[in-house]
Order: sequence, then structure tokens, then C-alpha cells
Amino acid sequence: MVTPLLSSDDLRQARDLIEASGLAFETRYHDLVGIFQSGRIVAVGAREGRVLKMLAVAKDLQGGTLLDEVVTALVGLGFQAGLDSFFVFTAPGQATSFEALNFNLLASSGKSALLEYGDGLRRYLARHQKVVTPGDNGAVVANCNPFTLGHRYLIEQAASRVERLYLFVVREEGSLFPFEQRLQMVREGTCDLPRVTLLDTSCYAVSSVTFPTYFLKDGDPGGAIQMELDLLLFAGRIAPHFHIKTRFVGSEPLSRTTASYNQAMHRVLPPLGVAVTELERIGAPGAAISASLVREQLARGETSGLTALVPESSRSFLLSREGRRIWDKKEVAA
Amino acid sequence: MRIAKKAQAGTMQSSDLMVFLEPAGTLTVTIESTVLKQFGALIRARVDLVLARHGIEAGEVRITDRGALDYAIEARLETALLRAQED
Repeated sequence: MVTPLLSSDDLRQARDLIEASGLAFETRYHDLVGIFQSGRIVAVGAREGRVLKMLAVAKDLQGGTLLDEVVTALVGLGFQAGLDSFFVFTAPGQATSFEALNFNLLASSGKSALLEYGDGLRRYLARHQKVVTPGDNGAVVANCNPFTLGHRYLIEQAASRVERLYLFVVREEGSLFPFEQRLQMVREGTCDLPRVTLLDTSCYAVSSVTFPTYFLKDGDPGGAIQMELDLLLFAGRIAPHFHIKTRFVGSEPLSRTTASYNQAMHRVLPPLGVAVTELERIGAPGAAISASLVREQLARGETSGLTALVPESSRSFLLSREGRRIWDKKEVAA
Repeated sequence: MRIAKKAQAGTMQSSDLMVFLEPAGTLTVTIESTVLKQFGALIRARVDLVLARHGIEAGEVRITDRGALDYAIEARLETALLRAQED
């Protein structure tokens, strides 16, 4: 029977089994479950959001149904938490044992494979079927936290070079501005551009699943592999569906994580048939426009510089009651 | 009977299936199976039969199957339907 692992002795045993399987024990998870046989943990697994991890089965008991039982329990717990698809990262050689459990392979690099249970990617693509137009299309993936004149410039430039530009707004929460507000700013800031179609990334690009380090501070060594999977998934599954031939990206002088994501783009996408066009950022006097610059100014309570950094639609949102509630600490207290 | 809330039944073990139900405006049934090529149509027919017997006309029905036999499909789907009823 699968049981939650809570006591410190459970955790110690779980850690031993996980590390004996060559995996790292991580303290971030929502559920940690295991199976006991004669007082000893023989199988273990954890769920962090949509990601199943630290799945391990005692060496002498592999090949039975223990892994199935652990995964069943984790998927059930996740479903109760409101999720309907789940991901697992594994060595490419292990992918088939998850495919036998009805996981679908989303992307595979030399070192790591990403699989999904629950058919979410197919449902995501089917949901957006009606906005697919064949042609020489392009894509921009952006967080727009908040939507700036820099985004506006990138999108205008990109849209002028393709038949249709799909603008994927990062769905994941974890940024200062919530998704709905970011989407709203983007919608208002691009509604005069007829060739632009707005979409959300769901969890299939720049998400806590495909690219968790984007939402953390610089310097996670595991980030590079996952970045590659994020791009392989884009080139292999998303771009073909939307007839995307070019991905546009702004040059990145500030963030190390984003800069290495851009480098990875140049390396991974073109061999798979997606050209990468990097456009220079436009500069306000003194510095290139970036959303992080806007956030820095807001954090200092400065709003006088906004006109030079964001379009009027974003500015009026940022200065509205609703906008202030997000960034202005005084407003929360009031 | 109608699907009033999210519900799940079954396991991921071999010869079993997982059933996920969610309320929705229209009826959609999706089936993933390790034996879809050989038995997809038969699984679908059995699922449709159970849904019809319980008068289910709307909802999202997702099934992932690992070669379950007919009676297992019926039992898991009926269990999920009962769990999807209003409290």
C-alpha cells in the first residue's frame, strides 16, 4: 500500500533509496509517498506541482508493479489538487518504462527525456486549432512582466516579417504581475496589430515544468538541460502545429539566465527547422528598455519614467488601483 | 446520472485503467491505451455503452488503459461516475 512519508525516519529511508538510485533528494515537493515491505521502504516518489520526481524502486524489486503503484498515487493526489496532466524527467533509456504507463514522450535530448501523462499537449494544441493559419509564421514567447515599449517594438518588427505572428504569453505564475493582468496589458498594447495572435504557453514553454530556472535566481546547474528540452519541445511539437518558421527574441544584455536561453535557442532551433532572429533592444536614454528596469523603478516608487518605458495602455494599468495593488506596497497597507 | 464534479478511479497497473471525469458542456471521450491499435474501438464501444446506460450526455471522460478487460473497464468507469455525483 502506498502511504505518505512524513516521519523523520521515513524521510531518512526515502533519501537513502533515492540517492542509491543515483538521484538527488530534493526538499521541494507537495507529496512524498512510499511503499513499505516488512518495515522497509521499497519504493518512493514525489510530486512537485505537475512534476513527478525522485521516483525510485529498491534494486531487488524492480520490474514489478511498485513503480505503477507509486505513480498512480501521485497522479491521484495531483488530480485532487486540481491538475490534469503530469510530467516526468528521466534518462532517455528509461523513457519506455514510462511510455508503458501511458506517458507520452514530449522531448528527448542526449541526457534527459521529458514525458507527459494526461495528453495535455494534444489537448492544448487542439484548443488553439482554430487560430492556426498555414503560411510563413513566426513566434515570440514573452513573459511581459509588465508589457513594455521593448516588447511592443519586438512584436511590431517580428509581425512585419511574417504572415502571422503567434505571441505566446507565459502562463506560469511566479512573476510580479499575474498572468491575467499581463495578458490584459499585452492585449491592449497589441490590439492594433492585425497579424498578431495572442496565445498562452500553458506549461509547454518557459514554465516551471520546462524551464524552472527562469523563475529562480541565476545559477542552477540543472537549468541548461531543461532549457534544451524546453526548446526541443517548441521546435518538435509547437512550431510545426502553428507553421512557425521563425522565433523572434530580443537581445539580452542584463539577465544571465535569459541570455543563455537565447544562446541555447541559436544552437537548438535552427537544425530543427526553426530560424532564430535576435533583434536589438530599443534604448531609452541611458539604458535598453526592459521589464526588469520597469519593476526596479516601481519598487522604488518611481512612476515619472514610465512614459519612456511602457505604452500608454500599460501605464494606465500600472497607475490604476488594480495595478498599484500589485506593485505598490503602500497601496496594500492602505 | 450526470458528471457533477471531478472524479477519478482505477490504477496505472497492467491490466487496469485510470478513468478521469470532469464536468463539461458537451461529451468528449478520449482514450489512451498501450493496446489502442488492437483494441481501441472495442474499449470505446464499451465506454459508450456504460455512459449510455447511465444517461451521461455531457462531461469530459479521459481514460488511460493498460490492457484492461471489459469488466474492469465497466467497473472503473462506473466507480468514477458514482464518485462524480453530487454529495
